[in-house]
Amino acid sequence: MPCIVTNSLSKSYGSIVAVDGIDLSVNSGKIFGFLGPNGAGKTTTIKLLTTLIAPTSGTINILGMDAIRRPLDVRKKIGVVLQQPSYEPTLSVEKSLEKYGMMWNVERKTRKDRVEELLSAFDLEEIRKIKNDDLSIGQRRRVQVAREFMHDMELLFLDEPTVGLDPSARRGLLDFIKKKVKEGLTIFFTTHILNEAEYLCDEVAIINKGKIIAIDTPNELKNKFGREKTIKIRIPETKKDVQGLLIDVKDYEIDFNSGTNITIRSNDSEEVLLKILQILTANNISIENLSVMPTTLEEIFLTVVKNSNASSN
Amino acid sequence: MHPVIRLVNRNLTISLNKGFLIWQIVFPLIYIFVAGFAYTALIHSVPFGNKSLDYPAFIASGMIGFNIMNSTLISGIIIWNDRRHGMFEQILVGPFTRSHYILSNIYTIGIVGLISAALITAVGYPLFFKSVEFNFYTIPLVVFASVTGSILFGSIASIISTRLQSSEGFNVVINTAFLFFAFVSTAFYPAQGAPEPLSTAFYLNPLTYLVDVVRAGMFGNFSTFVGIEMIVLVVVALILFTISTKLLSKLEI
Repeated sequence: MPCIVTNSLSKSYGSIVAVDGIDLSVNSGKIFGFLGPNGAGKTTTIKLLTTLIAPTSGTINILGMDAIRRPLDVRKKIGVVLQQPSYEPTLSVEKSLEKYGMMWNVERKTRKDRVEELLSAFDLEEIRKIKNDDLSIGQRRRVQVAREFMHDMELLFLDEPTVGLDPSARRGLLDFIKKKVKEGLTIFFTTHILNEAEYLCDEVAIINKGKIIAIDTPNELKNKFGREKTIKIRIPETKKDVQGLLIDVKDYEIDFNSGTNITIRSNDSEEVLLKILQILTANNISIENLSVMPTTLEEIFLTVVKNSNASSN
Repeated sequence: MHPVIRLVNRNLTISLNKGFLIWQIVFPLIYIFVAGFAYTALIHSVPFGNKSLDYPAFIASGMIGFNIMNSTLISGIIIWNDRRHGMFEQILVGPFTRSHYILSNIYTIGIVGLISAALITAVGYPLFFKSVEFNFYTIPLVVFASVTGSILFGSIASIISTRLQSSEGFNVVINTAFLFFAFVSTAFYPAQGAPEPLSTAFYLNPLTYLVDVVRAGMFGNFSTFVGIEMIVLVVVALILFTISTKLLSKLEI
């Protein structure tokens, strides 16, 4: 069942169209990745979905409620970690978690338990007494994300939550998010780090210039847009004459750094590989290694955005 | 618990730190004891209605009004800090409306104003207890002054905090405004005897009205003029509150 549905959702600032008629449907209990280059409209979309700003046109339905008519009812059921830092400078880490729980009307006993749980889950125990003002950017970000789990919610918006986090804190957060999704939470997630989206998301939308240009599961996106594969062949000896043998073959590169390395990049990489293997076998050249590089979401992202920019130009 | 009460709780927690409380008590005490006694040799008594007050009692009661005004700085500081540290947006994506946020600020400054007035009354009491005339309107008048003054000066601080983009600008404007309010008023010295146009300027300043109401309550000198001052205070507070609410409602995110 979808917990976010938008129809022709648009937001303009004067003549600038930040979000241009997007249609979204996000299913409950999933992690939905929302990707796009800088200024594509990701944060504006999150602000619209979290009722922070009103749309110029279109409809927004969150958890079965009209978010334009019932913004407060929507906000009571969602959590939001905004892109920009937000913290109480004068409060300690544990106090700010506790106060945030109080602001959400979480009862005292539950607050106390959750503070301990989150301090442990987000590795904040050592800095629990330190004021937010004295924390590093990464520590503050961890507190900001942890704080949002002080209250119950059905849907969580995370706008680039891992910005400023070190690799282990980042992995810890992603695993914590996965755990919460298994418990039934739905997550709407934006990031610039496409490995994260690939690791985490059940479905991904790519936005560019305010419009959704691709939407599907990461695997389906790879199937749709990832026909070009990269195949690497390694020959142990430096055989400069291979270049001459492959003169009629297209879509490959060769280098002679410690041996002979052939890299095939083609939409028909299997055919190119077959041709090269036939030539090498016919010339009794043995292969040390052959590897196929999987298509990454990052490559898909770059391809889709590039195509979108080319068509809009 | 009502959302406004939860926000007031949060506002008090983030604002009432040791530094602020020390500032709120020590600063007026310096005025009350140092200035109060230092000027006693020069100002033996101050005419107040049909009475005559000694100067320490006069300045101690003036400091109650001054402290109510000073404590409302909290309103501007809360809004400014919330905008600067991202909490304004965070609160507005939580279970709160802008009206909750605005009301919570007003209640916060009302509470801080009352606490400030109570603190200075307690601390300054030894100085003015001889002159105090308790009657059935003493407490209502001091509470009225605390609440109305808090809303009035809190709204001014809120307006300033919504209009300025830098913390330096905010500090300069708010300190200049409050310096004017403090010293061009009857908080420290009486209007009678001050040269023109200063004495007229005293009565263009809401702190003068606030202090007059506090003194009328404490020294039993309620008059028609004080009644008019109370009406002026309410009207000005309502106008400023409306402006600050509109500005906060339109504050861009």
